[in-house]
Amino acid sequence: VSAPEAGVALAACPLDVIELAARRAASGALGDAAARRGQPLAPLGHRRTCAAGLTLCIRPGRWLVLSRPAEAGAAALLWQRDCAGSGTAVDLSSALKGFYLRGAAARELLARGCRVNLAPGAFAADGAAATLIAQVSVIVAAVPQGLLLLTPATTARHLHQWLVASGRPFGVSVRGNVTVERICEEGPA
Amino acid sequence: VSQGPARIAAGLLTDASRRLDFRFDGEPLQGLAGDTLASALLANGRRLIGRSFKYHRPRGIVTAGPEEPCALVDVLGAAGREPNLLATTLPLTAGLRAESQNRWPSLRFDALALNDLCGRFLPAGFYYKSFMRPAWAWERLYEPAIRRAAGLGRLDPVVADTAAPAETVHDHTAVLVIGAGAAGLSAALHLGSRGVPVLLAEQDVVEGGGTLQAVRWDGWRQIVDGHLAALPCVRRLTRTTVVGAYGHGVFSALETLSEADSARCGGLRERLHVIRAKRVIVATGALERLIAFPGNDRPGVMLAGAALSYLRRYGVAVGGAPLFFVNNDEAYEAAFALSAAGVHVRIVDSRSASRAAECARALGIEVHTDSQVCRTRGRRAVAAVTVARSGGAEHRQVATDCLLVSGGHSPLTALATQAGAALEWTDSIAAFIATTGPDVQVAGAARGVFGLAAAAHDGTQIGAQLATQLTCSAVATPPPECPADEARSLPAPLWEVRGPGKAFVDLQNDVTSDDVRLACREGYEHLEHMKRYTTHGMATDQGRIGGLTGGAVLAQARGVAPAAVGQLRPRPFAQPVTFAALAGAEVREHYRPKRLLPLHDWHAAHGARFVPTGLWLRPLVYGQGSGWEPVLAEARAVRAGVGMTDVSTLGKIDVQGPGAAQFLDFIYANTFATLAVGRARYGIMLREDGMLLDDGTTTRLAPEHFVVTTTTANAGIVLEHMEFHLQSSCAHLEVTLTDVGDQWAQFAVAGPRARELVSRITTGVDLSNAAFPFMAGSAATLAGLPGRLFRISFSGELAYEAAVPAAHAETLWTALLTAGESLSVCTYGLDALNTLRIEKGHLTSAELNGNTSAADLGMQRLLKKQGDFIGRTLAQRPALGAPERLQLAGVRPLAPAERLRNGAQLVAANAPAQSLGYLTSATPSAALPGWVGLALLAGGAQRHGEHLLALSPVHGERTAVEIVSPHHFDPENLRVRA
Repeated sequence: VSAPEAGVALAACPLDVIELAARRAASGALGDAAARRGQPLAPLGHRRTCAAGLTLCIRPGRWLVLSRPAEAGAAALLWQRDCAGSGTAVDLSSALKGFYLRGAAARELLARGCRVNLAPGAFAADGAAATLIAQVSVIVAAVPQGLLLLTPATTARHLHQWLVASGRPFGVSVRGNVTVERICEEGPA
Repeated sequence: VSQGPARIAAGLLTDASRRLDFRFDGEPLQGLAGDTLASALLANGRRLIGRSFKYHRPRGIVTAGPEEPCALVDVLGAAGREPNLLATTLPLTAGLRAESQNRWPSLRFDALALNDLCGRFLPAGFYYKSFMRPAWAWERLYEPAIRRAAGLGRLDPVVADTAAPAETVHDHTAVLVIGAGAAGLSAALHLGSRGVPVLLAEQDVVEGGGTLQAVRWDGWRQIVDGHLAALPCVRRLTRTTVVGAYGHGVFSALETLSEADSARCGGLRERLHVIRAKRVIVATGALERLIAFPGNDRPGVMLAGAALSYLRRYGVAVGGAPLFFVNNDEAYEAAFALSAAGVHVRIVDSRSASRAAECARALGIEVHTDSQVCRTRGRRAVAAVTVARSGGAEHRQVATDCLLVSGGHSPLTALATQAGAALEWTDSIAAFIATTGPDVQVAGAARGVFGLAAAAHDGTQIGAQLATQLTCSAVATPPPECPADEARSLPAPLWEVRGPGKAFVDLQNDVTSDDVRLACREGYEHLEHMKRYTTHGMATDQGRIGGLTGGAVLAQARGVAPAAVGQLRPRPFAQPVTFAALAGAEVREHYRPKRLLPLHDWHAAHGARFVPTGLWLRPLVYGQGSGWEPVLAEARAVRAGVGMTDVSTLGKIDVQGPGAAQFLDFIYANTFATLAVGRARYGIMLREDGMLLDDGTTTRLAPEHFVVTTTTANAGIVLEHMEFHLQSSCAHLEVTLTDVGDQWAQFAVAGPRARELVSRITTGVDLSNAAFPFMAGSAATLAGLPGRLFRISFSGELAYEAAVPAAHAETLWTALLTAGESLSVCTYGLDALNTLRIEKGHLTSAELNGNTSAADLGMQRLLKKQGDFIGRTLAQRPALGAPERLQLAGVRPLAPAERLRNGAQLVAANAPAQSLGYLTSATPSAALPGWVGLALLAGGAQRHGEHLLALSPVHGERTAVEIVSPHHFDPENLRVRA
């Protein structure tokens, strides 16, 4: 997704999503397991990027691990194996859809529906939060060049339509898919 | 500079080079860019603008802002008629077509002005005492006639010409400053210069407030404007009215876009800001108030400050030879300005002496002190007034085309009180002021600090206090020098000049001072009671110019001081807000979200007709044709062979952890700890009150891993219920709940040949009856995908439910269709699914309706005897086992040709007025002759074989029915176990 000087670019971001839940007093062990897999767990209210993708935490003791889509169920099996004893890993790859927003007006667009203050001074550069936008659940994560939105797959089309309609005054342009690695890059994506 | 005969000077806001054509009541007129409709009408000498609410008296323009009570108009646009727009705030646009309201046949000759002549029979609350007989006539005659005669604008169906004429925006700031007058600007400047994020909201089209009225403040305003523009942390919104304060720092503000901004935003007209602020400064200023005297509503009677606004802002003189009637020095500013502009003015001042009066006399202005205006004269506008010395002596007529009134100034406190400020009576201004509270700072005239310089200083002080509270250490830029306030004499309270004729305290609702006294006589002595009896202070203007006057009249009637009566505290919205603004962008396709099945596009492409169920859109039926035929064809195909349907809408909850089984045992009324891995069990869960909450199957995939299915309707409720109890009553258990409803697409494959079909796409699972019996469930490879297979049935047939990750739904679905071609597999929709389940006696939300217990639905045996579970204690209430409770039963018509209706009442033939229960579900049967139904019937379980009547008065139907077992089809359950 090339950055429009002004306005907003909107792209879908296909993802494998695994939800990790730590057992009591096992957050450390789960974190170690994640680190061994090269995807260190983020602190609450934040996301953390790595080569394989990113992790984010919007609920105590729970993390979403995002990576490039692989064979159906394969990532979940690996995580279930590695987390055994310290937590659970549930595949949500089909449950959540990712959208990537970037551009000067991305935050202004989201302010049309998002109660969370996404202004750079208020929302950390690596912030993540769960909220409602256009009446549907959305997880918002600030990524280096824009914002990643995760929303339930069954309402994803509604959110997409809302983003396109609300983004019209900002000259929203709908682009092709973007990979999770690209949105995690620090430089221009 | 001239556009209209009354345009005598250049205005601050008007552009004399841009003339705009417009029409009022069809008459072509011209105004200037920057005009409001009101200023353009006044410039054209128009004084009669509308008719009053009740008496249809001629009314003109009274104010120059959103507090206007009278000048409401209809605006006709391409999209239709928009009523009740304020001429005083409506920007003049090229081609604007406005019409006066509440008159027939025309504004000049209004037939309903007859009401005014009958006024003595129409006092406040007359409809509470009249029109009592005959009783039938109230609804059919009196009320419709009264409603037709009263009211203001006419509401036509409005079709918006843009997709979303309004939007919502969420704003965040450290300090919200409401009002950009001298106090608000100063506060914003102080805070902004110290780096504090500020949102400055101003309802006017430009900032400045009272400083706009005084030429000598123009320089100060320009300097402040320049400073603020250089502060990136200060955001300024004009045309933005804060309309509500809701506590916890949440405010709503309505922004009306300018014509240019609207064009730039694709026709957007309004923007509702939801503002979250850490602190708020209310600097809303004060409003001039009315004096009640006979004929104070006649066109040409206007507030003095409004006349100054029209002169300064639009260059319009509101009258040729205006007479002022005042009780305070501030009102003299308008007289001085008009006089300086060459207009001959005269002043009647109720006080015996004042500094301003001396100044006026020094300027050669005629001032009558210690005098009052007793009444006005004129047919459709004021032509003369009667002036008398205070006490009623020396009456004389004074000819004038314009009477400019000022009864003092009342602080605008509505938003401050909503935000938590208290009200306090202040003798020096004879008004209530808002006091600073823990959650709200009040600055300037809103807290009684009058005079522009004093207000500016106050704003700076309040800003400094807030900056300290916010622990801001940066140094502020010194405030710019401002003109000093002139010494003023105090106003002398004057609320009413009594005399013959109607003296109005509320011009919008036609409430007179006599109405207020009548309310008091009838016992409505409290201000809020008087308001409701008379409608004083209601409607769009919220009594802003006459509210205190009405309260003071009430105080006089009660023999107490106005301070003892108090002041009305308007709730949000402080200013009218359109429904469009409240709806924002959530209209049409964005009105509410639609949840789409993973295969929605496939279903649509293959002829499915959809039905909304909650937020879901589900395929209702695929077949062509109307009525029940395509539904029955699908259901019969399932009974005869095999069919498949999309049941992805079912709620699915992943339950894992060492405590999972124990947790489910507590959540469900039946036992899951004993469930073997690879097996599923039907379960029911109760609410805490012992009533049924939901049902569904739970499958044990591993010793510490279950997957729970819920009904579609209760998916969210059940997840919340489980989460709540996991965090409260079961906090000791190590369990993880995950909503996997959207993760898995799930398809039911049902019919005698279901095994044959499913086996063709399944690997790794032996589907024989012995290895994979009814209520088995396990992981499986389906069409090459990692999935889950369950042998469960909602149709009464041999059936499976196959689940794969939703992203791969189409792979499995098409694989099933392909594999089933030789079996003539069909797809079936929700209607056929319903037919099959009613035949079988399965339940949905029609029966699990929140009022039924396990015993009511014949599931008492499922309640475990050992161990605790939610609802156990209250489920044992004896009343829940009472035989007269509504219990599940089957219903069939005695004559197979007759139909059943959902909701039909069941009655005994000999007591047709006494309902014994009602049909919850009904369908023509695919397997049996005629219709079958389920019902909740008093003592239904014991009534099998009885004959009753099913009455559907809505349809005029009366069907003789037999009460039977709810299990119409295969009651022995042989087919599901085949």
